[in-house]
Amino acid sequence: MIVVLGLSHHSSPVELRERFAFHEARVPAILQLLRQERIVEEAVILSTCNRVEIYASTPLDTPKAFAELKEFLVTCHDYRDPLTDEIYMLSEPQSIHHLFKVACGIDSMVLGETEILGQLKKAYDLALQHQHTGPRLNKAFQRAFNVAKHIRTETSIQRGSVSVGSVAVELAEKIFSSLDHRHVMIIGAGDTSEKTARALLSRGAQSIIVTNRSHERAQALATEFGGRAVNFDDWSNEFAHIDIVISSTAAPHHILTRAKLEPLMKLRKNRPLLLVDIAVPRDIDPEVNLLPNVYLYNIDDLQAIADDYLKQRKEEIVRCEKIIHQKAESLLGLKTSTDIAGDNRLPFPNLRKSA
Amino acid sequence: MWFTTQDQHLDRHFFLLAVTIYGLSMIYSVFLWRKGFRRDTWVNYFLLLAGFGLHTTAMALRGFDLKHCPVNNLYEATTFIAWTIVAAYLIVGAFPRLRFLGAFASPVLFAMGVFALMPSLDPPHGPTPEFSGADTSLHAALILLAYGAFGLAAVAGFMFLTQEHNLKFHKLRAVLTLFPPIQRLELITNRLVLTGFILLTAGLVIGACLPRPAGTEFFDDPKIIWSGFLWVLYLALLVSRWRFAQSGRRFAVGVIGAFAFLVLTFWGTALLSPLHHP
Repeated sequence: MIVVLGLSHHSSPVELRERFAFHEARVPAILQLLRQERIVEEAVILSTCNRVEIYASTPLDTPKAFAELKEFLVTCHDYRDPLTDEIYMLSEPQSIHHLFKVACGIDSMVLGETEILGQLKKAYDLALQHQHTGPRLNKAFQRAFNVAKHIRTETSIQRGSVSVGSVAVELAEKIFSSLDHRHVMIIGAGDTSEKTARALLSRGAQSIIVTNRSHERAQALATEFGGRAVNFDDWSNEFAHIDIVISSTAAPHHILTRAKLEPLMKLRKNRPLLLVDIAVPRDIDPEVNLLPNVYLYNIDDLQAIADDYLKQRKEEIVRCEKIIHQKAESLLGLKTSTDIAGDNRLPFPNLRKSA
Repeated sequence: MWFTTQDQHLDRHFFLLAVTIYGLSMIYSVFLWRKGFRRDTWVNYFLLLAGFGLHTTAMALRGFDLKHCPVNNLYEATTFIAWTIVAAYLIVGAFPRLRFLGAFASPVLFAMGVFALMPSLDPPHGPTPEFSGADTSLHAALILLAYGAFGLAAVAGFMFLTQEHNLKFHKLRAVLTLFPPIQRLELITNRLVLTGFILLTAGLVIGACLPRPAGTEFFDDPKIIWSGFLWVLYLALLVSRWRFAQSGRRFAVGVIGAFAFLVLTFWGTALLSPLHHP
């Protein structure tokens, strides 16, 4: 019987999750302890910022296994406050469904995110390396990874970007043949513009130019990105070489107008220009979008695309759950034959010996 | 007659099958369009590949009967241009991001195919073909290849305009679609026009060197005047692009307009030309 016990962003606040988090270095020893106490035969611990979960194959009957695992978790973290619904406990088939959902990112805070799959693989590899997994969990986890791959190719659950910064990067990739050799300008240093610039750099953008009313701030940010700072009054002189502009100043009026941009575009000779205006009030006059080769997106445009992506992902949940249900049924059907053979052999002879 | 009635039907039947497949590809393209070109698909590519196989067979049958390049009448010229467009697409469509060119090319191919199949465009030839000799074949083939390149450039230009419109007006499908970036589409359009222009120039130079039938003047022939105008039109497009930094949108509109002009006037000028339609 595979069971899951844990807490996640759905069931508990971050203050509680951080109390129950396992440091990666401690995980092998804790898994060893779990098995030595004969609570489980196989176990994997997944500990991320959004969830702490123990996946286990246990010989105990379900209520006893849950009680023992919960006691173990609480004792392990020396937690003494009362707990109500913060810790969830799932037995088959819900435990398998849950594992598959986690692998596919359906249970994640950012729906469809892929980072969790890497974290799950890492948690499984750690348990595997230290021989804390056996035929049941191996099969369940391998199947979970396959299901995640299947869902990624067959559905749109992981399609598109759901943050403003990554939507801006995606737009840039729809305009420019490649982001290599692209020059990015940040006008006004803000959190979102920094994140967007960072994302563009990670996708190959060649250089960053930063301009800000406070030149020191611009200089600091430019140094961080390995770019250069220019005076706020001179930023338009750089336009001939710039491909992407991210603007987020606190100016109460438009700092870039059609009349100002039109002559600058002539210097650019056919090259497209992506303007990302994430300032409120807006820095860039919407009329500039009427100029040829200029593509202007403000914060609402980017957010609308991100929201649409999220909506599409939500629409895919039903399809994903259907696939997960089928795959879980298929696994549990297969597992029956494994169980028959598995019951007659010791999954961890060395452990039995030591115990 | 230089070929039997049965043979004539055979090659036209193969072409009819090819046009039917282009039509199927066009219908499938409508579904792709409605879905926002979100899924990479080989279906259209293989449909056009199948059409190309039948199309090539039809041209080969006609060519073997003629014993030279089958570009003797409007049917043959039109099928040759369409064949060039498919051949070029099958090469560039091997790249995933350019595969959707097929969705835009198939309606053009289908329309050209239906037009070419009109019986009046394929009259029976005399005992010897009107145009013969390697130079004549090369002249006609180069010019028709140029038209094919212009046709594919117009398709790429249309794709550019579609995606550019989506990006300008902040449509979600701008990011959902699997279209290539607009900068690459612009580059492809530009290169196809340049290729077509070089082929057209070479074809016209070879044509100028061909022996002139007695009693005819090159520069009185409507087709030659038309060809000269077409050459100037594409030259103007290229010069305005390079020299005057014309925007991608205007260039794409110009390329589509120039090809529309080519398609709409090609048959008329050919019919009026004593040199090309004796």
